[in-house]
Amino acid sequence: MDISYEDVVQFLFREAALLDQREYEAWLALLDEGIRYRMPVRVTRDFGESDDFIDDMTFFDETKRSLQTRVERFRTTSAWSENPPTRTRHIVSNIRVVNRERPDAVQVASYFLILRSIRDSSESAHIFGERVDTIHRVDGQLKLAERTIYLDQTVFPMLNLSIFI
Amino acid sequence: MADVPRLRRDVLLEVKAKIQQGVLPQWVFADPDVYRAEVHQIFAKTWNFLGHESEIPRPGDYVTRWIVHDPVLLLRDEQGEIQAYLNSCTHRGTKLCTADFGQRKTFTCPYHGWTFNLNGDLVGVIAGNKVYGQEMDRSQWSLRKLPRVASYQGMIFGSLNPDAPSLMSFLGDLKWYLDIMLGRSDGGMEVRGVPQRWIIHTNWKVSSDNFGGDPYHTAMTHRSTVELGISPKDPMYASYGHQVVLNHGHGINLITAKAGLNVPPYQGLPREMWPMFERNLTPAQRQVFEKTMIMVGTCFPNLSFVSPMHGTGGPDEPLTSFVNFRVWRPIGPAKIEITSWFMVDKQAPEAFKEASYLSYIGSFGPAGTLEQDDAEIWTRVVEASQGTMAQDKDVHYNNVLNYLMGLGRVEPDPTWPGPGIAYPTCYLDAISRAFYEHWIDALLAEQDTDVLVPNR
Repeated sequence: MDISYEDVVQFLFREAALLDQREYEAWLALLDEGIRYRMPVRVTRDFGESDDFIDDMTFFDETKRSLQTRVERFRTTSAWSENPPTRTRHIVSNIRVVNRERPDAVQVASYFLILRSIRDSSESAHIFGERVDTIHRVDGQLKLAERTIYLDQTVFPMLNLSIFI
Repeated sequence: MADVPRLRRDVLLEVKAKIQQGVLPQWVFADPDVYRAEVHQIFAKTWNFLGHESEIPRPGDYVTRWIVHDPVLLLRDEQGEIQAYLNSCTHRGTKLCTADFGQRKTFTCPYHGWTFNLNGDLVGVIAGNKVYGQEMDRSQWSLRKLPRVASYQGMIFGSLNPDAPSLMSFLGDLKWYLDIMLGRSDGGMEVRGVPQRWIIHTNWKVSSDNFGGDPYHTAMTHRSTVELGISPKDPMYASYGHQVVLNHGHGINLITAKAGLNVPPYQGLPREMWPMFERNLTPAQRQVFEKTMIMVGTCFPNLSFVSPMHGTGGPDEPLTSFVNFRVWRPIGPAKIEITSWFMVDKQAPEAFKEASYLSYIGSFGPAGTLEQDDAEIWTRVVEASQGTMAQDKDVHYNNVLNYLMGLGRVEPDPTWPGPGIAYPTCYLDAISRAFYEHWIDALLAEQDTDVLVPNR
């Protein structure tokens, strides 16, 4: 069965809600066993220079196993960056299907804006950029098979990245 | 005229006396006058790490960096020499180059078009002869060079102080330990990709001191990894080994396993690399390196390094070592920008290079499972240091912090084969006390040359 635009939108919005509600085990269940989850470092380059994402250096370069370890860490009593938890809103928009070469898989690009409230600070930290995902159907369920996170900021503006994007 | 720091000398002398007693007044973490004095009397006088030679291998390669508030253009010129300039046009002061790195033969200012070559010479002035006349002496308008630039083991440092002692003398006994991390293999190290950069609301001394002298924090700050079974349950696990106090405010911890436990030699580095260690390290350096699991320390004032063994999976996953250097760039009393370089031996097997990178990404950097929690806690230190009580300069019991660990209780180990004063435990505030004593001496120094005098 083809993956519809409605399927994609529902998938991404549900995923965002699970992350904001810290339902990380349910979030992990959306990820394919072979997922590649990467976030290359962005740089400022001269006008006309090719790529301003550095594939060789990342903030995340994860497998399902390493993401599971990160989630298990958040479930300990002493992951201080999220104890007490920070509060996030994953705003996902401008969703567009960019590749439909296979019937059971789509490549999807979306914008993200993540607002994060930490402790009693009245200032909200925010990061923004674009994600390029491959979503495919496994045994009737949609799974995230690949995600590359393209941040717009070259200097990461938060004290840490103890959240998922 | 710029603000001249107005720190009362008697107050600073009292701080020094407190440090010698093993306590530190909390106000020094968030005081704007201290910050201004540090910029003038420490960062403008000392050597500052700028980058690694592997980041600019070819003529014309450049990177842009900062020394606190000074933008620096670091490049390799046509002769293959490394040059560092103030990244500011000599005409009207515009920041000349805004890219993080690249390849160029010339740099043209977007304001009026003055153009400089890799030697810093002014080689182009729009309508120059018409508007300035033939008599313009272009050599007067070259890019301003940093007064000093020098390298050690591929690490490029710059100094804004023309009278700074040599880099070799500044690094002093730290060189012996840098050799183990950076000079052990043929061809040295290479930076992978670019450094990660991020912002934390803390004071630079908090992070410098944490890496320099505080293995004690691991058991609690990083307890989540103990709960996960990645780190040992023994609360003393980061204490085994030696804490080495070095001259000029530097310090390093060489953490081993508990006596009797079997750990792979040389941090588990691949066996095929070991012959290089024979060639490049002395027997005494190998003796230390072979037993070491973690090296962590600080090159005063704000260049820190960590080379641990870490796994990205659970307790059954193998541990892989990496080498990471970072600058804690102060951008205010309560704000730093971290620039963090992952480095690996050029001659290491490709599979190790990849595993080492993943080990770094998993544990350090803004998303690292260890560093996430460090940043959280360092911000809390400064958040709690800004109020009236913590800022009270009338130093008494409730606004000094505890740096007493091991004071008068732990004697140096005379059998240590390396330089420096080596204590047989890493749960010790000896490096911290030396760090802060060097720091306060720099603030007290009235003569430039006094700033970098060795610890007595």
